Amino acid sequence: MPKKVLIADDTEFFRVALKDILTGGGYEVVGEATNGAEAVEMASSLKPDLVILDVVMPGKNGLEAAREISALKLPIKIVMCTSLGYEPIVEEAIRSGASGYIIKPLSETKVLNTLNSII
Amino acid sequence: MDVSKYKSLYLQETGEHISGIEAGLLAIEKTPGDSFALDNLFRHYHSIKGMSASMGYNPIMQLAHAQEDLLDKLRSGKLGVTSAMTSLLLKCLDAMKALVERVRADEPLDTDSSSLIEALKSCASGKEPLAPEPSAAPSAPVEGGHKLRLSSVMKVEGSVFDGLLASVGDLFMALSSFKALTHGTRSVEFKNGVHQIGKTINSLHESIISARMLPLEDLTAGLPRLVRDLANETGKNVALHTEGMDISLDRSILEGLGGPLVHIIRNAVDHGIEPTAERVQSGKPLPASIRIKASTRKDRVVIEISDDGRGMNRQKLKARAISSGIPAAKIEAMPDREVLKLVCLPGLSTAETVTSTSGRGVGMDVVKDAVEGFGGSLEIESTEYRGTKIILELPRTSSITKALLVETGGELFLVPISRIEKVIEVPSNELDAGTYAFAGAEIPLVELAASLGIKTGPRFSRTLIVLDASGTLSGTEGKTLAGLVVDDFGDEIDAYVKPLLPPMSRLRSAAGITVLGDGRPVFLLDIPQIILKALERA
Repeated sequence: MPKKVLIADDTEFFRVALKDILTGGGYEVVGEATNGAEAVEMASSLKPDLVILDVVMPGKNGLEAAREISALKLPIKIVMCTSLGYEPIVEEAIRSGASGYIIKPLSETKVLNTLNSII
Repeated sequence: MDVSKYKSLYLQETGEHISGIEAGLLAIEKTPGDSFALDNLFRHYHSIKGMSASMGYNPIMQLAHAQEDLLDKLRSGKLGVTSAMTSLLLKCLDAMKALVERVRADEPLDTDSSSLIEALKSCASGKEPLAPEPSAAPSAPVEGGHKLRLSSVMKVEGSVFDGLLASVGDLFMALSSFKALTHGTRSVEFKNGVHQIGKTINSLHESIISARMLPLEDLTAGLPRLVRDLANETGKNVALHTEGMDISLDRSILEGLGGPLVHIIRNAVDHGIEPTAERVQSGKPLPASIRIKASTRKDRVVIEISDDGRGMNRQKLKARAISSGIPAAKIEAMPDREVLKLVCLPGLSTAETVTSTSGRGVGMDVVKDAVEGFGGSLEIESTEYRGTKIILELPRTSSITKALLVETGGELFLVPISRIEKVIEVPSNELDAGTYAFAGAEIPLVELAASLGIKTGPRFSRTLIVLDASGTLSGTEGKTLAGLVVDDFGDEIDAYVKPLLPPMSRLRSAAGITVLGDGRPVFLLDIPQIILKALERA
C-alpha cells in the first residue's frame, strides 16, 4: 500500500509540483494544507504517514505546526521544506521533532531520496 | 525536473503576489509600523523567490531574495521603514514585473538588476538609499489595472468574450434572414420557432454583455500608486479618494478609459494642485485632494474627477485661444462652459511649465477625442482657488449603437446618433453653394451620394444632417460642425454593429455593418472619414 503524505505549503505552485513528484514516486497525497493551522488539523484527522511542512506560511508557521504535530503523539514523520538561507531554522525544526528537510528549489531526486530515507 | 508545465501556474501566482506587494508597500508607506503588512510582504517576496528558483528564473529569484532580506530586517524591527526605502522597493517591484512579463513572452531574462540589488543590500545594512531618480513616465500602474478580476468565480481571457459576442452578432444576422422568411410562410410552427430562437439569442446576448462587465475598481486599482509617484516627483502632498468604483462597465470601454483617466489625474497633480508652500500660505488643507466619483445615470455612467487646486485661469485660456487664431469677439461671446472647453483644443494649455508628466503635445484634446470615440462626452467645471472638476459621461456597454437610418439614391445607411447635432429638411437649391448657414457659422456640406459614387435624382427638398465632426477638421472652432446631405431619413434604431473584416475593413467610409429586421445589410457610416475624404477632394 502506498505511503500517505500530507503537504502543507501556502503556495499552490509548490503544492502542485510536490504532488506531481510524490505521485510519480509512488506516494499517495492525502491532503493539501495552505497554512500551519490547517496542517495540524489535517494531520490529526487524516493520520498520514508523513507530512511535508513549508516553513514560511501565514498565521501558524511550519515550525509551530511541527511542534504541535509532534505533540499529537501519532506515528507521523515530519519533513521540513524551505528555501536557501533558512538552514538554522531547519536545525531548530529537527530539534522540535522533524525527521528531515528539503531545501527548495525542489528536484525530484532530492524530494524522493529524502522521503525514502525516512520511511 | 521538467518545469515548463508549471509556467502558467507560476505566472498566475506570481501575479497575485505582485499585486499583494503593491498594496502592501502603499500600506507601509502610510503606516510604517504595520506589522501585519510587513509580515505579508515578507511572505510575498519569499514565495516569489522560491518559485522563481524552482523554475530556474535566477534574475527574478535574486531580486526577490534581496527584497526579502530587507523585509526580514523591517518585520523584525531591526530597521525602520523610510519613504526612500518604499520608493526603492516600488522601483524593484517594477523591475520584477518587467522580468515576469519577459517570462510570459518567452524572452531571455537578461535585464541587469545588479544596481537595484546593490541598493537593496546597502539599505538592508542600515544605509539610507539614494533617492531614486524620477522615472520619466510611470505607466506601469495603469497597465496593471487592465486585468480581469473574476477570482471568486474563475479566470477567463477577455478575448473569449469578444469571440462570444461576435458569434452572437452572427446569430442576430442569421435570425434576420429567418425573420424575413416568416413573411412568406403560413407555417405557424416556423414562425413560433423563429420567435423562440429570437428570444433565446436575446437572452444569450444579455448574458454575454453582463459577463463582459468589469468594475471600475479593476482600472483604478493602479491609481493610488500613480498619484503617489506623481506627488513625489512634483514634491506635492496629494491624497486620492474614490467613490462608486464598484460600478461596472463593458471591458472595452474600461480599457479605453485608462489613458484619459491617467491624463486627467496627471494634469490635476501637475497643474491643478498648488505646491505645498503655496497651499500653506493661502490656508488650504493638506494633503490636497483628488477625488474620483462614479455614479450611474440611466444606462450611462458619470465619472467626476475633481481636485481642490487652483482652478483653471479663464483669462489665460482666452488669451491662448486668441493667439492661436480664434477671433476675440467670438471668444468673448462664448458661454463659460465653452470657454473652459477651450482647454481641449489641440496644443492649448494654460500650464506655464512643461513637466515630465504632462509634457507637451498630448493634451486634453486627446482625452476628449478618446472619450467621444467610445460614445462618451466631457464637461469641465472650474472655480478659481477652489479647483477643477472634469465630468465624463460614458455608455456602460458598447456593442449596441443608437443610429439613424438615412437613405440616398435608394440605398440605406446608418449614422451614429452620437454624432448628430440636428436633422433639417432643406429645399435643394439652398444646398447648392457647398456651405450652409447654421448657428451663426457657415458649415461645409458633404453630399453622401457623391462621396460614395451613388447616383441620385433631382428632388425638391433634401435632408441635411448637421454633424459633430470633432476630431476630423483642424479648424479653430470649439466644436467642428459639418453637414451631410442625404435624400431622406427614417427610424432611429438600436443597431448591433459588427466590425468589418478584411477585405471589407478597407472601406474607409464604413465603420461597421449591421442587418436590419428584414435581412438587408446596412453599413454604419464612419463620419470623420467621410467628411475628411470629401473635404480633401474639395
